[in-house]
Amino acid sequence: MNEVFTKSMARNIYFGGSLFFVLIFLALTFHTIKTIPELDNRAALTEQVKHGKEVWENNNCIGCHTLLGEGAYFAPELGNVYQRYGESREAIKAFIQFRPAEGIPGRRSMPQFNLTDEELDAVVEFLVYSSQINTQNWPPNIQG
Amino acid sequence: MKYESQAVAKLYFLAALGLFLGQIIFGLIMGLQYVWGDFLFPLIPFNTARMVHTNLLIVWLLFGFMGSAYYLIPEESQRELYSVKLAKLLFWVFLVAGALTIVGYLLMPYARLAEVTGNAYFPTMGREFLEMPTITKVGIVIVALGFIFNVGMTVLMGRKTVVSVILLTGLVGLALLFLFSFYNPSNLVLDKYFWWWVVHLWVEGVWELIMASLLAYVLIKTTGVDREVVDKWLYLIVAMALITGILGTGHHYFWIGTPNYWQWVGSVFSALEPIPFFLMTIFAFNMVNKRRRDHPNKAAVLWAMGTAVVAFLGAGVWGFLHTLAPINYYTHGTQITAAHGHLAFYGAYVMIVLTIISYAWPHLKGHGDANDERSQVMEMWSFWLMSVSMVFITLFLTGAGILQIWLQRIDGQTFMAVQEKLAVFYWMREAAGLVFVAGLILYLVAMFTAKKPALEEAS
Amino acid sequence: MNKSPSNSTAEITPGYDTKREYPHGDLAVWAFIYAELLVFSVFFVSFAFARMLNPEVFVSGQLTLNPWLGMTNTILLLTSGWLAAAAVLANASGKQSSALKNLWVAILFGVGFLFVKGYEIGHHFAAGYDLDTDSFHFLYLFMGSFHFLHVVLGVGVLVILAVKVKRGDYGPDESQGLESGAAYWHMVDIVWMILFPLVYLMR
Repeated sequence: MNEVFTKSMARNIYFGGSLFFVLIFLALTFHTIKTIPELDNRAALTEQVKHGKEVWENNNCIGCHTLLGEGAYFAPELGNVYQRYGESREAIKAFIQFRPAEGIPGRRSMPQFNLTDEELDAVVEFLVYSSQINTQNWPPNIQG
Repeated sequence: MKYESQAVAKLYFLAALGLFLGQIIFGLIMGLQYVWGDFLFPLIPFNTARMVHTNLLIVWLLFGFMGSAYYLIPEESQRELYSVKLAKLLFWVFLVAGALTIVGYLLMPYARLAEVTGNAYFPTMGREFLEMPTITKVGIVIVALGFIFNVGMTVLMGRKTVVSVILLTGLVGLALLFLFSFYNPSNLVLDKYFWWWVVHLWVEGVWELIMASLLAYVLIKTTGVDREVVDKWLYLIVAMALITGILGTGHHYFWIGTPNYWQWVGSVFSALEPIPFFLMTIFAFNMVNKRRRDHPNKAAVLWAMGTAVVAFLGAGVWGFLHTLAPINYYTHGTQITAAHGHLAFYGAYVMIVLTIISYAWPHLKGHGDANDERSQVMEMWSFWLMSVSMVFITLFLTGAGILQIWLQRIDGQTFMAVQEKLAVFYWMREAAGLVFVAGLILYLVAMFTAKKPALEEAS
Repeated sequence: MNKSPSNSTAEITPGYDTKREYPHGDLAVWAFIYAELLVFSVFFVSFAFARMLNPEVFVSGQLTLNPWLGMTNTILLLTSGWLAAAAVLANASGKQSSALKNLWVAILFGVGFLFVKGYEIGHHFAAGYDLDTDSFHFLYLFMGSFHFLHVVLGVGVLVILAVKVKRGDYGPDESQGLESGAAYWHMVDIVWMILFPLVYLMR
């Protein structure tokens, strides 16, 4: 008996189609992982930078800022803050270090994280590392 | 309510609604902080309010999904739930773990929470939406496993329907993909690549399976349309969701250090991601059109149709607007993203949970098929208040985003200077947010003061 | 049985169902076919667009291809498609063994395509080109591989159809699955018929 639209055909398309695209996605993932060493600046991924990423995570910087465009939209993009601050590590370090604990009246305020000197240097180095990842020419300008 | 064990859903729905209210309160705090920058600073800095807002959203939606499963699976499987005790135990474990986590966010600086919870031993904290301590994440996995075991056994030992199987597939997928939240490499590009395996493959993948199956269930129950017809639609919808959504993940791989071919793959496939939402809209309206009965719970039918439409608008249309790489180059990480995110989450996931609660609540309270007329009218008012205000929130943020892109990314003004100029949009957004919370409160009043319909009302 | 004079298929093959309003084959498969055509169309338009923006890359890229291999594949797929259609008609007239033979040869030609294409793509990678070389090579490799996978799927479908024809699952009144599978195979064929001139030939 010929029916217009069978349930089993729809089900086969669901299973087959999903499996098909999962396999392609896995293949592209495999290819991507093989290719990203040319793009991800891993030569600069030192122990200090790894520690810097931990400092970044432990203080939830992503909760206000974006990094490579991902995160929160309360505060500026930090993937290119190194370039924006004239490639000055000291300038970035000083900004974080000297945030007033009570904030700035009426303005969006960044907490004083009470980071040690070592943590500050590490997180700055993490931001330098991030700024040199090949992001296909993003962001469009220095403002992030 | 045909099976006694369905009653356990009430606990989950109560938690869901309570946490929803909490989420919105913190949303309002954040909205105010956008324009009154140091509001509640340093007691509750913006990032703290944000992680409370987003984590509460995810947790209350999970309570909602689990409650929905506990409600409909006994009915679909035509047997009682495998273990009511387990369901109640897991409820309290999840609620307490969640509450402690939120309290942890609020009571101490985040770095201290990381220290206290031993994050250093297995660091998974500090990423967006995954801010919860590693031990909380372990707790979530345990609760998820227990939950899947419970409903899985119920389905396996009973009648298997397309609705219950697809719902289960979605829930299992949700649990398995959550495991990627434990993978946190030092390599920032790899970190971001696999982070999206949780976030994208959740909300643009397996969560769509959950949404579609819940929608199908409510439509079967309220329209009386032949299950065979609904089943075919459901397969087609979820097929299109995965076919477009899996490679659609590539639209998050444009600018994060991954190869440039993702700009092609991501753009083409994600451009097609509106299709399943379009199908869901036609599906919902078609089923209601061809209905064989006029179900007395008019509010639930309104929620069902509304879910499909708003999901299509928020996830489909707004998603499409910024998904093509050449456009995304300018919109990436702006208020456009926030606009899409709010309407998409509200339309697809908030609304489907409210739809199920709307359908199930009268049964859970012993009111029969529907609540009394007055409650339904209040409920429908809450639908319009929340949905329309959310659309306005989205419109205001879209306006803010367009201006932000022009001033910051084309004209080159600084981020902070531009944010000041967007203040008008943000004030209007906050006003819309107040209307939203009014709608939510009205919804809660409707549900909690609902009565059995008077004899003349019940059809 | 309806016999409309303008329907020559009905005249040639008694039993061919002319009463159906919908296209022959399962509507779900047609929905799927249209979705597939949509995806490929988007890629074809993107190819044309990218070519317009970057003609040198595309001209030099095209020179790295072997149009004779492409021609061979075209002949293989077209013949295979014709055989699949013949199998459907044979089944409609109750000639099961003829249908089966046609299907097996169609499969053979499909597999032939896979060998030729597999060799061609492997050779391309070995020559040093990759997905991220430039937009031409990406589109050539991705569209080619994507289509290749559809041919794999199509051959699989044909094999299932052949097995079912052998088992006697199909007949003049029971042809839905056969028609659906053949329609899918024709879609794979049509995509190639656009891909080949667009990528290999047009200058």
